[in-house]
Amino acid sequence: MSLDINRKIIQKNAYRITKKRNKTAIRIRVPGGHLETKYFPIIAQIADQFGNGSVHITTRQGFEIPDIDYKYIPEINKLLSTLIVGLECSIGVSINNPEEGYPAAGTRNISACIGNRVCPFANFDTTSLALRMEKEVYPNNFHIKIAITGCPNDCIKAHLQDFGIIGMTEPQYIYDKCIGCEACINACKKFVTGALTLHNHKVKKDHRRCIGCGECILKCPTSAWIRSNKTFFRLIILGRTGKKNPRLAATFLNWATEEVVIQVIKNIYALIDKEIDKSLPKEHLGYIIDRVGFNLFKNSVLQNICLNEEIKIAQNLFFIGYQYEKDIFMEV
Amino acid sequence: MKRNITKNEFNLFFNLLNIHYDIFAPVRKKGQGAFSDTDIIYYEKVVTFDEIEWAEKSTYSPKDIVFPVSQTIINFIEDRLFIPNMKSSKPIYILMRPCDINGIKRIDEIFLNNGPSEDFYYKRIREKISFALIECIDGFENCFCVSMNANKNSDWDFAISLDKYRPFISIEIKNAKIENIFHSMVTDASNIAAPEVANKNFEICFPEKNLKKVMLPNINEMPASIYSDSEFWDEYKNRCIACGRCNTTCVTCSCFSTNDIRYDDSQNVGERQRVWASCHISKFSMMAGGHEMRKDNASRMRFKTFHKIYDYKKRFGEEKGHMCVGCGRCDDNCPEYISFSMIINKLSARISADINEGKK
Amino acid sequence: MINQTYDANNIFIPVPHKIMDIITETEIDKTYRLNLNVAGLPSYGQFYEVSLPKIGEAPISVSDFEKDWIDLTIRKIGTLTNCIHSLKIGDVLYLRGPYGNFFPVDSFAGKHLVIAAGGCGLAPVRSVINYFYRNLEKLAKFELLMGFKTINDLLFKYDIDRWEKKFKSIITLDHGCDLWADRPVGLITDYVGQVDFSDKENICVIIVGPPVMIKFTADKFVAAGIKKENIIVSMERRMSCGVGKCGHCKIDSTYICCDGPVFTYERAERFID
Repeated sequence: MSLDINRKIIQKNAYRITKKRNKTAIRIRVPGGHLETKYFPIIAQIADQFGNGSVHITTRQGFEIPDIDYKYIPEINKLLSTLIVGLECSIGVSINNPEEGYPAAGTRNISACIGNRVCPFANFDTTSLALRMEKEVYPNNFHIKIAITGCPNDCIKAHLQDFGIIGMTEPQYIYDKCIGCEACINACKKFVTGALTLHNHKVKKDHRRCIGCGECILKCPTSAWIRSNKTFFRLIILGRTGKKNPRLAATFLNWATEEVVIQVIKNIYALIDKEIDKSLPKEHLGYIIDRVGFNLFKNSVLQNICLNEEIKIAQNLFFIGYQYEKDIFMEV
Repeated sequence: MKRNITKNEFNLFFNLLNIHYDIFAPVRKKGQGAFSDTDIIYYEKVVTFDEIEWAEKSTYSPKDIVFPVSQTIINFIEDRLFIPNMKSSKPIYILMRPCDINGIKRIDEIFLNNGPSEDFYYKRIREKISFALIECIDGFENCFCVSMNANKNSDWDFAISLDKYRPFISIEIKNAKIENIFHSMVTDASNIAAPEVANKNFEICFPEKNLKKVMLPNINEMPASIYSDSEFWDEYKNRCIACGRCNTTCVTCSCFSTNDIRYDDSQNVGERQRVWASCHISKFSMMAGGHEMRKDNASRMRFKTFHKIYDYKKRFGEEKGHMCVGCGRCDDNCPEYISFSMIINKLSARISADINEGKK
Repeated sequence: MINQTYDANNIFIPVPHKIMDIITETEIDKTYRLNLNVAGLPSYGQFYEVSLPKIGEAPISVSDFEKDWIDLTIRKIGTLTNCIHSLKIGDVLYLRGPYGNFFPVDSFAGKHLVIAAGGCGLAPVRSVINYFYRNLEKLAKFELLMGFKTINDLLFKYDIDRWEKKFKSIITLDHGCDLWADRPVGLITDYVGQVDFSDKENICVIIVGPPVMIKFTADKFVAAGIKKENIIVSMERRMSCGVGKCGHCKIDSTYICCDGPVFTYERAERFID
């Protein structure tokens, strides 16, 4: 009996057409990339019962269970409801019927580096932010990739996402606690941007060079550098891989608060809805903005937002990337 | 005088005390730890019970009250010199665990008794300081005050225990002036402990044993071989990163550097500052011209080790004890997990092995 | 001028001293003669903490003194000393001190004294040499060994000329030159053999100079039969407060600034930094 499948519907349900005829694969979202082990048995059960007993860990920190017969989709969706309720509904994501599987797959799982639950460099709890953001961006069919990273080391590769969120702290200097040991200066010079210099046996900071990584705080033996009360974020946008024009994301907002970042991202979704070329099967955000222009983009996404006073907004976006057709030196 | 009081009474008492004294105690600073979402505990002025961190050891010792991290010792205006006034004229009480009281007494020796005369800046604040005791019974993970014979102290004017008749606070006052202040409290009957609780007896206790124990090298003369034993010290050449946290958190590290500065806005005005120095941090032993006597981290570790558990006692006498009081902050705060108590034990083992070999 | 809150017990207050004379010794060394207006003369080999307000402070040994002046010979080596070198007669240097112990000149009475000085190590013993220049009769014998890198590094030439006339003075240069033809060339250690060791028991030796020079020169004297306790050296370390508080110059249980800088070699050779 030949299968009759509506590709559009099953794709939105987080299944995909695979290389193997008659076989599909399901992608499980793990917002923030952190999962309680109590969910492992369900993933294992789906793989054992309906797949080939193996699971792929995706680049976006989800699970993909391959080698599934299309006919099992309803049954698998029922099993998935525990995951959907536990990982999505519980953090406020609105899903009508969790027993019908994932309601959308366009906006991908929000990935996050391990963050300050483990990593000493991280400026905040990345997973928790992913959990707070999930309900703002999902379910949604627009093909958007978001990654959250704890510090400018960017271990999650936020620079290759549509939205990269980089955690920052604004180091506060307590003059009377500084012994002028230069540990911060040396670390900043060696690992970061050289924003610190020794002046009058104490430390001077060039704020324009500070990227809020917190390296100075980590190195200080007297706690003369401490974290700001607020956590700040750098929102980098429109990074991408792909076959046409891979490029690193560019900074759009610097020293933004969480509220501003989330609101801006929501506004961008609204802009996509308005400007997307509906004649195409899909259009990536980067190409939409390339088409509508940065100024229109900027004005519309900053509309009605109460910006925090520390924020710096890009005048323009400068991308570092390349176009394959320009690789003229690649010829033999 | 001993009394068990309620938190309300405590706060009333502290309110009165604050009229006459600045009271310093360990305070938890939320989010001020080096890692995000972590706290540190350091000494600050306090007024109420709840401001004080009673349960945990402070990250930094109370020594900065008497020996500030950075202080101006002379102000220069053109060719005139001005000695900065003290920030507060009030006498001070510091609430400390016994190791820290003993620690302050160790640095007293350096600032007041070593060299030809007393240190003016240390003395003028030290004279204002009296001690109050926070009872410490079990110590903490890295403490070894008992081994260092620094677990007990009786130089306090009043002591506070939270452990006797919870939720009541037990307070013992040995100083008549403080007792008078205590008795001058006007309390509301509803907020005070009932007499049968208030007058229950208790004894302020001290740690009798720690989780960590160190063996001190019990010798009159450190064998010369241990200074040059590179096998023993070289381990720390790379393990130690010379960050200086063991020095800055130590209650007995008392070294400082003197720096002159000239203000940018007016070149005629400047100051001479005294800032903490650390024997682990580079340039500590550097002379004019750039020659550094202890360049590698292994020799700095040796230098500190002997200073803490040998040289001080040798210089100031048996009754003064070792400089190290076993507060364990060096071990608490070393980012490279170097345990100083382990070094002491290894050193003692190495020396007694030497002695045994010699005997054979 | 010092404000009202000045406390006589504040040993960290530097006192201005007027520069009476400046002698250029070499390209990088100058001797400053200061009018001594504080109570108490220094002793032979002591040092002052010398400072310029807003610039910095450094320990400098007294290179000579009389009842109303002291000499400080200062090498241009960092920020502070660079600034000092730009001062003129009539300007002031700020002093704290004198600090440290000193050469026990009285204990040399009747002895055969040998002084070996390398480079700027001559500064702290110059006052001792000049003392015995004036009181040579107090010694059984006096011999002087001095070593410098090149002819351009010679310090106190005007003194050396006088000294050479009065007692045996050997001056050697590491690197000779035409102007130094027929005069001693080589390290100071090469000339220890020329010392008169006929009355070994009565010899006292003072050695000052860089640590390496001290070690090798002392070893030569020891090899020649001089007891380590009869060899006296002056140590250079990073002295900062000068009064045993700051900890920078500490070695084992010794604070060089208070217990030194003068030690017997018997003690000094056991110092391990």
